[in-house]
Amino acid sequence: MWSELRNLREGVDLGTPPRDGAAVSLTVDGKPVTAPAGSSVMVAAALARCPVPKLCATDTLEAFGSCRMCLVEIQGRKGFPAACTTLVEPGMVVTTQTARLQELRKGVLELYLSDFPAGDVPGGWSELHETMQQTGVTTHPYVAGENHLQAAVDASNPYFLFDPTKCIVCSRCVRACEDIQGTFALTIEGRGFQSKVVASQGECFLDSECVSCGACVQACPTHSLVEKSLFEGGEYRAQSPQA
Amino acid sequence: MPNPRKPDGSVVTTCAYCGVGCGFKAETIRGEIVRMIPWKEGKANHGHACVKGRFAFDYWRHADRVKKPLIRASIAEPWREVTWDHAITHAAAELKRIQAKHGRGSAGAVSSSRCTNEEIYLMQKFARVALRNNNIDNCSRICHSPTQFGLSATLGAGAACQHFDSILQADVILVVGANPTEGHPVFGSLLKRRVRQGASLLVIDPRRTETAESAHCRADVHLALRPGTNVAVLDSLAHVIVTENLHAAKFIAERCHPAEFEQWRALVGDPRYAPEVVGPEAGVDPAEIRRAARIYASGPNSTIYYGLGVTEHSQGSTGVMCLGNLALSCGMLGREGVGVNPLRGQGNVQGGSCLGSWPHMFTGYRFVTDAAVRATFEQDWKLELDPEPGLRLPNMFDAAVAGTFKAIYIQGEDPVQSDPNQNHIVAAMKAMECVIVQDLFLNETAKYAHVFLPGSSSLEKNGTFTNAERRVSMVRKVVPPLAGLEDWEITVRLTNAMGYPLHYDHPAQILDEIARLSPAYQGMSFALIERCGSVQWPCNPQAPEGTEVLHTKTFPRGKANFMLTGYVPTSERTDERFPLLLTTGRILSQYNVGTQTRRTGNVAWYGEDVLDVHRTDADARGIQDGDFVTVTSRYGETRLRARISDKVNPGVVYTTFHFAQSNANAVTSDLNDWATNCPEYKVTAVELVKVPTGKPASSRTPASVRA
Repeated sequence: MWSELRNLREGVDLGTPPRDGAAVSLTVDGKPVTAPAGSSVMVAAALARCPVPKLCATDTLEAFGSCRMCLVEIQGRKGFPAACTTLVEPGMVVTTQTARLQELRKGVLELYLSDFPAGDVPGGWSELHETMQQTGVTTHPYVAGENHLQAAVDASNPYFLFDPTKCIVCSRCVRACEDIQGTFALTIEGRGFQSKVVASQGECFLDSECVSCGACVQACPTHSLVEKSLFEGGEYRAQSPQA
Repeated sequence: MPNPRKPDGSVVTTCAYCGVGCGFKAETIRGEIVRMIPWKEGKANHGHACVKGRFAFDYWRHADRVKKPLIRASIAEPWREVTWDHAITHAAAELKRIQAKHGRGSAGAVSSSRCTNEEIYLMQKFARVALRNNNIDNCSRICHSPTQFGLSATLGAGAACQHFDSILQADVILVVGANPTEGHPVFGSLLKRRVRQGASLLVIDPRRTETAESAHCRADVHLALRPGTNVAVLDSLAHVIVTENLHAAKFIAERCHPAEFEQWRALVGDPRYAPEVVGPEAGVDPAEIRRAARIYASGPNSTIYYGLGVTEHSQGSTGVMCLGNLALSCGMLGREGVGVNPLRGQGNVQGGSCLGSWPHMFTGYRFVTDAAVRATFEQDWKLELDPEPGLRLPNMFDAAVAGTFKAIYIQGEDPVQSDPNQNHIVAAMKAMECVIVQDLFLNETAKYAHVFLPGSSSLEKNGTFTNAERRVSMVRKVVPPLAGLEDWEITVRLTNAMGYPLHYDHPAQILDEIARLSPAYQGMSFALIERCGSVQWPCNPQAPEGTEVLHTKTFPRGKANFMLTGYVPTSERTDERFPLLLTTGRILSQYNVGTQTRRTGNVAWYGEDVLDVHRTDADARGIQDGDFVTVTSRYGETRLRARISDKVNPGVVYTTFHFAQSNANAVTSDLNDWATNCPEYKVTAVELVKVPTGKPASSRTPASVRA
């Protein structure tokens, strides 16, 4: 019971919430693996130690299927299903690494990188950076076009900042605010290229309904939402009551 | 922004704040704490956190931290820095001098629920072996002592029946006098999750709290009762249950004493508890009382969570018993998704309660008057113990004012700010010859102290905390103690200086001693907690890895007891001079008396205590939003900034007590629970007068106040 809470493990991200259904046997990259019924193919791949690259998925949130990094091939199925939104079935044969899949993931990641501060690609340690390493994609072929690289940082919250230039609009923060915290302070405003994360009605974080629980910061895969205390000198100093 | 620095170390520990007891990973860079990350394997929080535990930790190295022991001959003199040896020797000499002059009973000690189990245990041991009396109390005296009394009386164990996750099996959630989304935010999030999944929510609270109404979480029934009428309303719920035959006859026959049930049924079935009678008295719609009772009784799984809104009343213990009776009558005990569960304010209130820090009880709630129990402690401690129960905290202060109580050793508490009727507490402090305060900061109480022993924050020590679900979790040292000693080491030194030899190499040895002397902790050890992550008591050979749900087959006394819970209105009444009722509580971003959170960035959200006033009452007094008002009660007065709010009903005003400057407890009464002396913080008759504009009410810069 409560496996989605109790079977979480520190240092392990299965990608979608753990389940406790009956064991289902399948193969991932030739390796036999069993996963509880109700698990995603992403969980099965993680259990088989063949982790699928991912950005919008994390095991504290239900699958969302937006980033298109976790595409896999499944024998007998057309196209390239997302590992996060596809559930395991008995006898399923899953392949996570093929030239075609690498090509697709490279294309997706290059598009993300075309609107990400190039200077921050080296030296980073966010999940996006880990995914770049995992897939070997750190550059993109595009000329400068319309982008979000001049967007202003919201540093109104005493403890964390929101740097929209690093945001990939994966909705993990929005979903964490809704599903984990239950406050519904964040939303995605606009559509397509214009879509962006906003707090309340486009207010700064401090003036919004945000209760500063940190679930969004914890969920952010790009350090777009990040603790101020991790920046040298930029640390928020405690304030004396009489100050 | 450039890339952030990457932490190079981490230590898993337990949050220092509320009774949820979240697991955290304290991450460091070259030994410096840079962030607190909620621990995914924490069984109380599953990787979630709130603004306090997650971010408000910088108080630990605030400039106000005291790093050297301080002494002075009188409170008129400035403090003098001394060595640890000097301070300890001086404190012990003073205690011995006072006891020699005024008698053994003239000194006592108070333990803190912000300290570890091991430290709380040592405080009561100090009183018993060094002061040689039972003058030991703990701060749950002023918050959850009625829980211990009321739940023991009905169910046989003064602790939460369930674990937090159990709420995900509940169909009906009854929240009484608690606001978990602000007071216990991580549990509040779990509760909201269950409500979004479809559980019914019933709220009994004078205020329209965030728990009662927020995005995608709205109470099916909210009984916004008049402060002080809990028992009447709870008896009225019971009235509906017994008169409409909604009770669980089979459960009552098997698990309770049927004769007691009949007596109780006769009481609550009396027409004076009919919703149509109680409703007008309590200011709630009788039909809503009936509806709430029917929803609760229908379950199939109904659970109760409650807080200080139940306990901090002149009938606090009776209110807790009402909840026990209610659960018994509907058979809502002994399985997942049901139960009666106190939400504990401070991180280790449950531990404070379990570990013998009581004037009448040893660890495991066993009486000091019981010769057999006393003998086991005498054998272990190799000392004859005082068979007479000692003074309760409020009685210590009364005795100080009367001149018979002269010395007190206070661990991590600030009674001058947190205890009711401040003027009385200050008089008590001034009347004592030796006040020893052990704390992180020179708090309000330290103004009246003669010895100040600088304590350590929970980031600077090893030990365990017991959270509101009886879960014992590890507190691990992340950085060395700023003043050199962990709190347990200070108490060990003082005990030795008093002439009783005491030695432990590590808190693990103290937990071993606790396990040896306390049935519920029998199987506990640092090794077991390390292996399991955390362990819920009772932990014994029958339950080697602890117990999640209590009362599954039997109650501790075999059968449970229905207690008679007649409603006796508080003597604190409104009249023409004091026509409004003041009730107090907390806010999300601040914690208790604020010594920690006021010293963090959390002041960005709440920089001062404000008084919520309904527009009707404000208009009648010419008060506008943001005006300062004088709040006067029969006991004292203070000034607060008013906020016009529809969260309170007309006739009720509400404030928090997080800031020393607001002196909220200057106005609260010294009435208290009939059984446990827990103060009646929640009901004080007051009047408001607008402070003429142009006259500054306080020297503080007004900070932004958020609704």
